[in-house]
Amino acid sequence: MKNRFLNFLMCGAIFLAFTSCNEDDGATGPDPTNDEQWVTVAGAAMGENPGDGNGGTLIYAVSYEDAINPEVSIDVYEDGEPVKSNRTARIQVSEDGNTLFNIAYAGENGGEFSRFAVGGGASYVEEDVTVSIAQYAGTAPRWGKLYDGDKTGIAVNIADISANNAPVDENSDEKTGPFEYYRGTATILALDLQNVEISGYQQYEIPLSQEEELAGHTIFRLDAPVLNQVGNKLIIGTWMRKYDPESGDRESEWDRLGTKSVVVDYPSLKNAKVITSTVAHGDCSGYRSNVNFLAEDGNIYQATQRNPNGEGSYILKITPDNEYDNSYVFSLDEALGANDVYVQTWRYVRNGKGYVVYRKGESDQSFVALVDLNARTAKVVEEIPNDADLSLHQYQGFHVSGDNLLMAVTPIGKNGNIYVLNSQTGEVTKGAQLINKPGNHYIGAF
Amino acid sequence: MAPFLLLAQVIRKGECAISGIIRSEAGEVLPGITVVLEGTTIGNASNFEGNYQVTGIAPGSYKLLISGIGFTAQHHAISLQEGQQLKLDIQMKEDLQQLNEVVVEGKSIKAEIEETGFAVNVVETKKASLQSIQTNDLLNRAVGVRVRQNGGLGSSVNYNLNGMSGNSVRIFIDGIPISTYGPSFSLNSIPPSLIERIDIYKGVIPAHLADDALGGAINVILKKEMTNNLTASVSYGSFNTQQASVSGMYRDNHSGFTVRASGFHNYSDNNYEVWGKFVRNILANGRYDYVRAKRFNDAYRSSGGQVQLGFTNVKWADQFFIGYNGSDDYNEIQHGRYMSIPYKGRFSTSQAHVLNLSYQKDDFLTKGLNLSFNGMVSDRNEIINDTVKWNYNWFGEKSIGLNGDPILRPDGAQQGAPTLNHIDRNVNTFRSGLTYTFNTNHKIVFSHMFYSIDRNQQDMRKSAVEREFIGTRDLTKNISALAYEVEAFNSNLKANIFGKFYQQKIDRIDPILIKENGESRKTEDRVQSNRNTFGYGFASSYTIKPRLLLLFSAEKAVRMPSEGEIFGSPGDNIVENIGIRPEISNNLNIGFRAGPYGNGLHRFNIYASGFLRDTKDKIVQRINPRLNDAVQTDPFENLGKTKSIGFEAELKYELDNNLNILLSVSRFNSVYNLRYDANGNEYNNYNQQLPNEPFFTVNSNAQYTLNDLIQKNSAINFNYSFGFVDRFYTTWLEIEDFRTPRQFIQDVGVSYVFPNKKFVVSADARNIFDKQAYDNFAVQKPGRAFYLKINYTINNF
Repeated sequence: MKNRFLNFLMCGAIFLAFTSCNEDDGATGPDPTNDEQWVTVAGAAMGENPGDGNGGTLIYAVSYEDAINPEVSIDVYEDGEPVKSNRTARIQVSEDGNTLFNIAYAGENGGEFSRFAVGGGASYVEEDVTVSIAQYAGTAPRWGKLYDGDKTGIAVNIADISANNAPVDENSDEKTGPFEYYRGTATILALDLQNVEISGYQQYEIPLSQEEELAGHTIFRLDAPVLNQVGNKLIIGTWMRKYDPESGDRESEWDRLGTKSVVVDYPSLKNAKVITSTVAHGDCSGYRSNVNFLAEDGNIYQATQRNPNGEGSYILKITPDNEYDNSYVFSLDEALGANDVYVQTWRYVRNGKGYVVYRKGESDQSFVALVDLNARTAKVVEEIPNDADLSLHQYQGFHVSGDNLLMAVTPIGKNGNIYVLNSQTGEVTKGAQLINKPGNHYIGAF
Repeated sequence: MAPFLLLAQVIRKGECAISGIIRSEAGEVLPGITVVLEGTTIGNASNFEGNYQVTGIAPGSYKLLISGIGFTAQHHAISLQEGQQLKLDIQMKEDLQQLNEVVVEGKSIKAEIEETGFAVNVVETKKASLQSIQTNDLLNRAVGVRVRQNGGLGSSVNYNLNGMSGNSVRIFIDGIPISTYGPSFSLNSIPPSLIERIDIYKGVIPAHLADDALGGAINVILKKEMTNNLTASVSYGSFNTQQASVSGMYRDNHSGFTVRASGFHNYSDNNYEVWGKFVRNILANGRYDYVRAKRFNDAYRSSGGQVQLGFTNVKWADQFFIGYNGSDDYNEIQHGRYMSIPYKGRFSTSQAHVLNLSYQKDDFLTKGLNLSFNGMVSDRNEIINDTVKWNYNWFGEKSIGLNGDPILRPDGAQQGAPTLNHIDRNVNTFRSGLTYTFNTNHKIVFSHMFYSIDRNQQDMRKSAVEREFIGTRDLTKNISALAYEVEAFNSNLKANIFGKFYQQKIDRIDPILIKENGESRKTEDRVQSNRNTFGYGFASSYTIKPRLLLLFSAEKAVRMPSEGEIFGSPGDNIVENIGIRPEISNNLNIGFRAGPYGNGLHRFNIYASGFLRDTKDKIVQRINPRLNDAVQTDPFENLGKTKSIGFEAELKYELDNNLNILLSVSRFNSVYNLRYDANGNEYNNYNQQLPNEPFFTVNSNAQYTLNDLIQKNSAINFNYSFGFVDRFYTTWLEIEDFRTPRQFIQDVGVSYVFPNKKFVVSADARNIFDKQAYDNFAVQKPGRAFYLKINYTINNF
């Protein structure tokens, strides 16, 4: 890929200049002669409760060779570097694996963005200054890195959802007109990952249709932004909520609308428009990882969550002209022959293939399946341990290398492995062993 | 000096008086020693400071009889000239024969309480109240107590007693839960000069204070002076801090009619400077500009007063009072949990109107039966106001974004969503106690507390429809305690065994809308939780030698689940758990008190205690793997276990009557105590120090008195104190950036007692080296500050 090629050229130049890039010092720096890249493995430590991940995040980098080598064992809890974040950090890694981006989640430095050079092992050297997006997006922001060569991160937020007829202050307690809508204020913010600064932001309300709003529907959260192929629109996933306009109560179950995404102009971040699928009715905001991916065919594929009873997750298609393709119906329930499949996270790899992490029915156990977006089929990856304690709901990061997807798989409190999943052949190999601690779990191989 | 203030009085012409201080051979001041003119009814007893005075004596020759239980009686022949003010200090000899029979008598209330066997410390406020000091500062100096305040005067406070904190520590005023009064009459607002003393019980709580206090109780005893007096003080200092208080007592000696009244006023801008890595203005592009700034939204005002009318020492009552207590406060809030983002315009106001009735009678109906009753009816209101929607920087200016527009707060207002929340509470608290003394060695104590709180809230920022659907919560608690106290082996052993019965009922009433056949109907969804449980404990002290006392106490302590823990919170996807059990902690204290040792000149007292707090069934919320779901899921459950082991020690040194040094140390390990996961593997956190616990503190306070330095009969006191808190991590992962700095904060003060003993002027300098002081991570407390205070007292008017 272009970036890796650039990296190769860069290191080549350094090699010519210093003749220092040789295999021997692979432990201290990237080894360009092998076109090597770092894989950052992340683990979440427990806080007060097993599996809560609230104890913080530890990271450790190994070479790609080591990551796929079952002879190697990795213990982030003993050897890793703690990420400066009060709770589970929201980390992202550059496409070449050599730079780590973090936005601290909650705590004194919540909303603080920092960039680290990955040096292997526990060596993460902070580059440049820190930048806080807390004023714009809060101390627990949702953000994603665009697949634009690591240039941009997008953070999103919805604030202060209230009824239009809620009084602004105590004195205007008089009748404030009839109910029209519940709406919050959206913030869309662009972060320049290279220059380490906020490069733009917009704050506005995003209306739904009048009928939907009168019924009490509103966008509760935005997440999982992705750039379209042309690079002129951002597609942002939504998490919907509904209030009962007659009581103001938040409803826990309701007749869901079709899945909605917000489309905004890029790079201006203006002109928000809502698009609605007629195929599925769940949300498309992901949880701690992205669920919207641009494929080589120019379409954006999106997995749904919080699907209404029995519907199960769908993968939806958004065409290059930024509209849902409602003729594309890919039900994971059907493809997997299961009931109430719920996609916890997923990752597109290439050539129409990707992997979904899901649970089904009442069970909290996670499974992994290879999906073919063109054939609309899914096949369970049987090699991933069938373990009731495998719960990947906090899973954040995958590492894509060519056809391969690397994934860290550990049941809570048990050892596991990095798995190397070949999206094209379906081949599965075990990579490095992951040493776990009770109550903890690995949340990514980036 | 306080003791002398009591001596100041108006003397009729020609009459004589005798006064002085009564000490033991060891130099300890002795209260309760009677001094009478033999053959007359003229006489008096020494007070807690050992001072006595006999007034209204006609000139002539007398024989003075000085006696007290445990001491050999003495006679002194005196001769008084017209108008003579005789000063006579007396040293009492211990009567060993008597002493073996009765040890308790002749001791101060402080000593008496501290020797009951409980892990208890008594903080006397008399001396300190002449200085510019807050009640919370006084508490913080007490051994084993850590007060953590989120800023300056009026900011929120959390109390840690031997590693237990939050809602496991209960605070009482005269035995009544402080929630009866609310924030406007709290340890933040009550000045030390209105407080007689503060009893701090750690881990094991006596029957008369029974409540579901898992970790300990702090009981503030308001002043109940028995002599006519009027005290007033006013202080001014840094950050425009003004504090005034007045209190008085009048008793008509014929009818026993008594009036007690007091009032206070506190104000501070709290505009102290903050600086360092947490104080930064965020630029439009997100970068930091580290600044040194004054806090700008942190003013605090509180005022209040109380009047008690009644009768004291009459035939039908030792004390009977009907009273009113009213208080009001205004509190600006500068920031949330961390000071990294300053707020503007967030504030709260609160008021409380409390009516009370108290009755106390010894030998009620029959000899040996003592009755006490204290009832309060309270109407509390609180408003939380947060509607400003912009971000502000540390200069109090709107933060401007890249577009040139002010940036909206991410949640709509300063701390969260905009709110104008009116919370009204009606609180009824009744505590009654019955004590029956069979004889000097056997006593039964029964105590019952009834507590009910009805809470209604209305957020005026919600639409009219939404406000109609806000629920109410009613909580009722009944706590009964029965204790049996015994003294044996010539009173060398004192033991107290007690049981407590806790009962709690909570009603949740939520208006809901039911939809039937297309019609909507408003109705109520009522849920009730009714829960009761037992606890029991034991406290004992054993006198090995006259000056060495062993202390042992243990309790199976209980904390009832809170409303949120029982009913959950639909907004946060937490379902109710009606079956949730109370938190239980097995608390244990073993210690000793020794002293006073030394000769008349040097005197030492030592106290040390080790403790264990083994908490089970701790209420926590299990991780919810379906947090992502829209449906409600996991409730609170009894899953957690923690353990705290540590010690505390206090050393007191006195040189003659001039120098007084108090040094206290507390150190503990508060650890996560859940050991194995479902697979039998040991958790990483097992035995790891819980984050955010200040586990090692040292406090010291020294006072030096010089008499007659500037004027004859004047006194000048010098004070020095320091507080040391070791650094601690605030997160589970031991990240250096999330570790608090080591603290060593020093204060000095001086006070001058004028010869007429009515005026005392004091000057204080706090945090003299202007260190960055932190109780909580990333929340700076005031730097160097100066205060001046004037106290005025009249006695026996």
